[in-house]
Formats: sequence, structure tokens, C-alpha cells
Amino acid sequence: MTNKKTNYGGAYVPEMLWDTLRKLSAEFECAKKDKVFQSEFQDLLRNYSGRPTPLIFAERATADLGGAKVYLKNEGANHTGAHKITHCLGQGLLAKRLGKKMLIAETGAGQHGVATATVAAKLGLECVVFMGSEDIKRQRPNVFLMERLGTKVVPVEYGSKTLKDAVNEALKYWMENLDDAHYCIGSVLGPAPYPEMNRYFQSVIGREIRSELMSREKKIPDAIIACVGGGSNAMGSFYDFLSDKSVRLIGVEAGGIGKKLGEHSSRKIAGELGIFQGYKSLFLQTEDGQIAPTHSISAGLDYPGVGPELADLYANGRVELTYATDAEAVSAVDYFAKLEGVISALESAHALAEVRKIAPKMPKDSIVVATLSGRGDKDLFNFARAFKDESFRDFLKDEYDRY
Amino acid sequence: MTATNKLNRLFADKKKTLFMAHMIAGYPTMEDSEKVAEALAKGGADIIELQIPFSDPMADGPTIAVASEDALKAGATVAKSLELLKKVAGFGKPIAVMNYTNPVFRYGIPKFVKTIATAGANALIVPDCPFDTEEGGELLSACQEHDIFFVPVVSPGVPEERLKQLAKASRGFVYCTSRQGITGATSRFAKDLENFAVVAKRIFNLPLAVGFGVKSKEDAQSLAKFADIVIAGSVFVNVIKNARPETLEPLVEKVMRELHI
Repeated sequence: MTNKKTNYGGAYVPEMLWDTLRKLSAEFECAKKDKVFQSEFQDLLRNYSGRPTPLIFAERATADLGGAKVYLKNEGANHTGAHKITHCLGQGLLAKRLGKKMLIAETGAGQHGVATATVAAKLGLECVVFMGSEDIKRQRPNVFLMERLGTKVVPVEYGSKTLKDAVNEALKYWMENLDDAHYCIGSVLGPAPYPEMNRYFQSVIGREIRSELMSREKKIPDAIIACVGGGSNAMGSFYDFLSDKSVRLIGVEAGGIGKKLGEHSSRKIAGELGIFQGYKSLFLQTEDGQIAPTHSISAGLDYPGVGPELADLYANGRVELTYATDAEAVSAVDYFAKLEGVISALESAHALAEVRKIAPKMPKDSIVVATLSGRGDKDLFNFARAFKDESFRDFLKDEYDRY
Repeated sequence: MTATNKLNRLFADKKKTLFMAHMIAGYPTMEDSEKVAEALAKGGADIIELQIPFSDPMADGPTIAVASEDALKAGATVAKSLELLKKVAGFGKPIAVMNYTNPVFRYGIPKFVKTIATAGANALIVPDCPFDTEEGGELLSACQEHDIFFVPVVSPGVPEERLKQLAKASRGFVYCTSRQGITGATSRFAKDLENFAVVAKRIFNLPLAVGFGVKSKEDAQSLAKFADIVIAGSVFVNVIKNARPETLEPLVEKVMRELHI
């Protein structure tokens, strides 16, 4: 190892994107200072998405775990059921300022796709969403919703047919439609300025956590936990607390079903420095530099790379990374459903699994906040299968007959 | 550094438009891809572009993406591709190696450039590594050291300001895509391609290679009006995909002959 500092991020893209990214960066910088943009964005967050989202005191879970007070930042209460809509609204407004007519997006679980489709409909833009054919099989309900929102969903049939391939295909489509299309990247990754831009929009999560806890507990939390696929809800939750060194910031990746390459999506387990899809970061890859297959029960975490700012924060020790297995995630959904009346998305359940591990070890006067990035409605079919629910299987058969 | 690069001699002796034929190392198999290279050389290719397969080729359309995937499934690796490069160099044509940033980065930039230089490559194309990134800078200096041309890839729509930045560090030739977008077998050249080509040639003052979507002699002829080098790739992949093993070589050679002008 050399002592040279790694420049995470960057913009490793074909030259044909140079001008587009430059204009996007300039518009983003301009929008940050523009009162009209800010008031439009705030208005949509409040009166369309429903912010601020609730900070739930998980009283029964706190008592059961016997340690830290547990709070859940319920991003699932957003319109469309996850935090994704926040950066979609921000990017949608930027796209309009840039004179674009169309939003394009990739999606894994379908949450970012639905959010983009929703924003496109709201703002009067066309929308095309790319989705791996494997993910389409796993998340059919979201495909249906996107189509009802007027979006064209394009299946990606090559590669691993999951999220990374959807990103590849969206990038390609973008390069063919640069004049009309804005690529609404769905996480804190991709070429600059996307990681910074999406983090900027999502950082409202952390600010709301701070102000709500200050008014209710008169202090900031001791730990914040968020699941990490690309890292958008994690960066959004963590950013406001980076300089509060007393706050542990813990990202929870998908531990999947094992530690071999292809059995998980955890860069903590096997991430190596690489350059892919426009940015330098940690990636799951082979010795040969080929991008490795990944696995997670949650399509939204099933991706080989992690946002460059998060990789940097992990490398310098400010953010901790850990992982939860598929089984731990499913069990965490059940636990918080029974104790708190909250059915979490499988992605967010990785963060909840970590809460169950660390809260009991923390003192009773400490506070842990877990970001519930999305609600579990979209995982209805996957939950039913995970719990081997026979009555749900019978329902599906009957439903088929009713068609 | 004296200009001994084999491509310089080719450009100096050039009497008509040159042809750069693209192929994928290890497609359909390592052995057969050696035959493909030989057929391209026999068929009259002036330069061979040897693409090292990558799992996620961002600038390539479905034809080359799927072929790259097939090559990897058939056992292609960066190391084996570099072995193939040595054999392809034996056919006597100048070679441009094409790869994406991650495999080159993982291999180690100086080591990668040294290896391809030793194996007989004359140029390197990495479409997702801009010159002004840290790795782009490392590639430029490693290529300079080993007399390899690190070739910029530009497209209609790239502003003059950017072309001028790239021109300062460019040597050898310039790869110009015939339109915005990705490689592929549909012929659809940008309306402003010719104007862009004229501007790019003026700014770079280097031979201009134009490709993406060349599938017929007519396509090649229309590009030859302003291109110094015509590039074709996906068209060969489609031939290889449909060829029986025993007809592979003659078919590729025939298509190469038919495309060359």
C-alpha cells in the first residue's frame, strides 16, 4: 500500500458526456443559490412528498432490546414509499431548468424507478426506466406501477440482468439522447456531479433527524444506522453529522447468503478499488478486473459498487461498514412489524438487523437512530415467499383464476 | 523519443483511406479469435483494433456487449488476451488495443502499457478514461514512455474547447465516433458528422479514424470522404456469430475485402 490519498469519485466517462456533465454541474451550482429553485424544491418536498417524515420512537423495541433508545426515521412515509423521491424531485427540477424533455433512470428494486416515473408525471416529462429482467421478475408490482404512471419500462437482458446492467443500459441510452434526456441516477454514485448532487438533496434526512431529536431529547444521537446499496439514504442520514465526532455512523450492506464472491453485495467483505460506471470507488470484482456478480434478497442493495463519498468516509474511518444477511433482514422485518407496527422494505431491514445487534450493548441513556429508507409494501410477494405463507400462495392461485 | 511507431510509417505511406478492423480477444474462443485476426489481416485490414473483453462495456451496443460476455464465458482473461496480442502482432499489421478503465487499472497502468508494448501493440484506446483524470495522466505518460499512441475518442457534439484540451496531449491518431451513442450495426451517422470531422482534423492535426455503425462498403465510402481511417467492428461480430467453425476464416476475410475501399 502506498500512502497516496485515493481520489474517490471523478468522472470516468466517454468524451461525449463531457459537455453534458459540465452543464449539469453548472446548473446544480446555480440552483443551490437560487431562491426560486429552493422554494420550488421545498414546496414539493412538503406538499407533494409529505416531508418532514416522522421520527418514530420505537418504545417496545427499546424495552425488548434493553439498551439504547431506538428511533426510526421513517422515510417510508414519503410519497411512493421511500426516500428516493427526494433526489428525483431535485433532479427533475434541474432537468426542466436544463430544457430536457425526458427523464431516464435505472432501477433495481423499482423504488427509484417508481419515484422517477412519479416525478416525471408530476413535472410533465417523458420517462424511460431501465430494469434488469431478473429484477423485473422479482419486483413485478413496481413495473406495473411505473407503466400506470406513463413510463416505458425497458428490460435489460444481458449481463447479470440486475441493477448494474440497468445502469449500463441507461448510460447507453443517455449517450444516444443527450439533447432531450436527463439521466436521473438513483443513488450517490456515477460520474461527478451525481454523488454530490444526490447527497445534497438527500441530506434533508439528517437535518430532520437532528432538529426532531433536539426538540424531543435535547441532544443528538449516539449512533445512526442506514442500509447501503449505493448509499443514498445512508449519505442523506449521515451528512449532517459528519463533524459531530461523537456520533457513530454505521452503514449496513447486504451480507446475502455467504462470503464468497457472488453470494453477497458487501464491499466491506470483498470490495477492491476500481473505476466503473463513471466513478472510482470500492467494487466487487474479480482478480481480472471484471465486475463480479452480486446477491441480495433485496434488489435495491444488489449492486457491486458503493458511492465514492461513502467509500472515502469508510477509508478514513468516519463511517463504519458492516453487513446483515438475507435471513437477518427478513427476521428484522418481522421483529419491527410485531413490536412497532412498521413493515420495512427488505433493503431498510438490513439497518434494522444492525439495531438489534448493537442497541442491547449501548447504555440506556444513549440514542440510536435507524433510517427506514422505505416501507415494505413492494416486498409483499417476497415476504410471503420468505415466510412460506400458504394462504398467500393460495390467494395468488385464485387471483390467477379470477383474471 | 524518436517516432518509430509503426503507425507513423503507415500514415506517411498512406495513398488512400485506411481501414481499422475491430475484433474481440477470445471471441468466439481464444483459438478462433486468432484465426479472425489472420483473416482480417489477409482481407486487407490496415490496422487491427483488438478489444479485450470486459464484463460491462459502457460504450458498446448489444452486439459487442454480448460477444464480450460470450468471450468471458469461454474463458477469456486479460492475461490470455495479452498472449493473443503477441500472436496477432505476428500477422504484421499495426495494432490498437482497446479496453475499459477498470481492467487496466486493476492490472496496473504502467505494467499494462509495458506489456502491450512488448507484445507488439502500437496504440491504446480506453473510451471511459479521459486524459485529465489521474489514471488518464498515468496512461499518457506510460504510453509516451513505450511509444504507444494513447488515442482520444471524440464524438460529434464535443465542444471545440474540449477538443483543444485533448489535442495538446494527443499523438498518433484520433478516434471519432460517427454519432453520439454506442457501437452497433445500425448505420446512422450524425448529420453534423462531416462538419465535426473537419473541425476535429483542424484542431488535432492528426489522422482521423471514424467508426460506429459501418456495415457496408457504401458506409465506408461515405466516411472516406473525410476520414483518414474507417473503423468497423460490430459487422464482423455478426459474421463470426453466424459462421460455422470451418467457414469462419474465409467468411471474415471475404467481408473484410468487401468493406475495404
